[in-house]
Amino acid sequence: MEFIVSGFQKGIALIFSGNAEVYAIARLSLLVSMFATVISVLIGVPLGALIAVKKFPSKKIVISLVNTGMGLPPVVVGLLVMLFLSRSGPLSFLEWLYTPMGMVLAQVIIATPVITGLSMSAMQSIDPKFYRQILTLGAGEWQALAVCLKEIKLSVLAAVIAGFGSVISEVGAVMIVGGNIRSQTRVLTTATVLQTQMGNYDMAIALGLILIGLTFIINLALTFIQQQKAQAYNAK
Amino acid sequence: MIKIRDLNFALAPGFGLSVPRLDIPQGRVFAIIGPNGAGKTTLLNVLALFQESGAGSLEIMGKDAYDPRNKLFLRRSMSFVFSQPYLLNDTVYRNVALPLKLRGEPDEGRVAEMLELFKISAFKDRNANTLSQGERHRVTLARAFVTKPGLVLLDEPFSSLDARIKDTIMHDLRVIFKAAGTTVVLVTQDQGEALTLCDSMAVMKAGRILQHGSPQDIFARPASAEVADFVGVETILPGSVTGKEDNLCSVSAGGKTLEVIAGCAVGDSVLVCVRPEDVTVSKNPDAGSMRNHFGARIISVDPWRLEYKVGLDCGFSLMAAVTKQSVEGMGLKPGMAVFASFKATAAHLIKR
Repeated sequence: MEFIVSGFQKGIALIFSGNAEVYAIARLSLLVSMFATVISVLIGVPLGALIAVKKFPSKKIVISLVNTGMGLPPVVVGLLVMLFLSRSGPLSFLEWLYTPMGMVLAQVIIATPVITGLSMSAMQSIDPKFYRQILTLGAGEWQALAVCLKEIKLSVLAAVIAGFGSVISEVGAVMIVGGNIRSQTRVLTTATVLQTQMGNYDMAIALGLILIGLTFIINLALTFIQQQKAQAYNAK
Repeated sequence: MIKIRDLNFALAPGFGLSVPRLDIPQGRVFAIIGPNGAGKTTLLNVLALFQESGAGSLEIMGKDAYDPRNKLFLRRSMSFVFSQPYLLNDTVYRNVALPLKLRGEPDEGRVAEMLELFKISAFKDRNANTLSQGERHRVTLARAFVTKPGLVLLDEPFSSLDARIKDTIMHDLRVIFKAAGTTVVLVTQDQGEALTLCDSMAVMKAGRILQHGSPQDIFARPASAEVADFVGVETILPGSVTGKEDNLCSVSAGGKTLEVIAGCAVGDSVLVCVRPEDVTVSKNPDAGSMRNHFGARIISVDPWRLEYKVGLDCGFSLMAAVTKQSVEGMGLKPGMAVFASFKATAAHLIKR
């Protein structure tokens, strides 16, 4: 028990010690996950909305695929991305293996189905006639989707929060694709695993606390925006 | 404005839409009435370009509506109002301004003009979802007219309103329709709405237009038993024309001889249609000016709107609409012997 308490004490001290490596790891974690979330939002939100409003023959199969994608095992995603990016893989020309861009790619594959699925569900909660009504007011299809998405912005923001949560805390895929290379692809989750394996519990706890803290701050900011909108919604 | 030729849609097994020919001229207010499942809303959806192309041709404002290149232009030349008001979670002003924003057109006072016209200026800064149902309907109508569309499609827009609000909105709309000169297509199950607002109308059943013409004409001279039944003719008797003098036909029906002004020939098999409001019930054996006057026994007396419906057995079944005062004054009740009369001009013959 004592070593746990001591680990926390040392970890907290390390956070405020100005350790450049810890900060670099935290910065890379944030950059990779935020970049991956932004790309996933740009793909997932319109895609989810489009699947929800469009009628097409294999719609149920597509929805099932999206729902399956929401539970993709990150380790399997990492393995596949690594194979695709490897020297003999079809995407080797990108030269993204063991780079932050490779990690972003893996995280995009993990987060996009989550954001797509939740955006799709949110869009399906709107009466289909609402979408038609917007079309009849002179909207093009993308304009109508944008108007509808604005109406469900609270749910879309929840999808963004879930998407970010799924990648900032993810370890398997970034470990395989990034390789956990010091000062290049080491992020908070992979560094925590490494320090734990090495028995550096204070460092592991420090990294873990930073990860939890950052996740909390980002989610707090998004939740704050969401709830402000909810209050404005209710006050109208 | 709207030209339909040989329009055919197979929508589900056993149900399709088939309109061989329909023309709705510019500036007309046209109603489509019919029972549930008649295909009214489907036809409206075809006009709103929501259905995939079917057989035949559809021309709106001189443009081929089946041509995808015309879709956005036509959508921006028309407005659609659903039975439920679908509004943004935003202010009344922004809701009414939305069609202009989507088109990238400047406001130029048009929103304010519509708010004034539909009497919702006082709510312009309120969230539309906090308004009453009637006010929300006014917002959807203001939004529908803000772009000065050439065509407005209304899908049972008053069905969720109470009678008082509906009457007020319909009164305002009648004035606005005339002033705007917009072509309006109204789908409704309410014959009163059609009579109040429309210049012409069509009766639909099972995906087909059974009859179209002026509301007065359809209500007075239905072309078939189905139309007669839908427009409130409750007495429909099979019979045959046994004599004719000028336009006065003698019709043998239900074991009696009825006299009806009609253009039929002797020997024609017909259906005699009589509306309940055209039948008079009295205790007076004197026929007066009524050509058709029969002794009858009351079968039933049931409340109907603000009146009573009295079922009569005159040798054939006849339904009469009687005011509450008359029912109470004469003490009408089942089993009572009375006289039933209607004019020769009040009945209508449908050739079988």
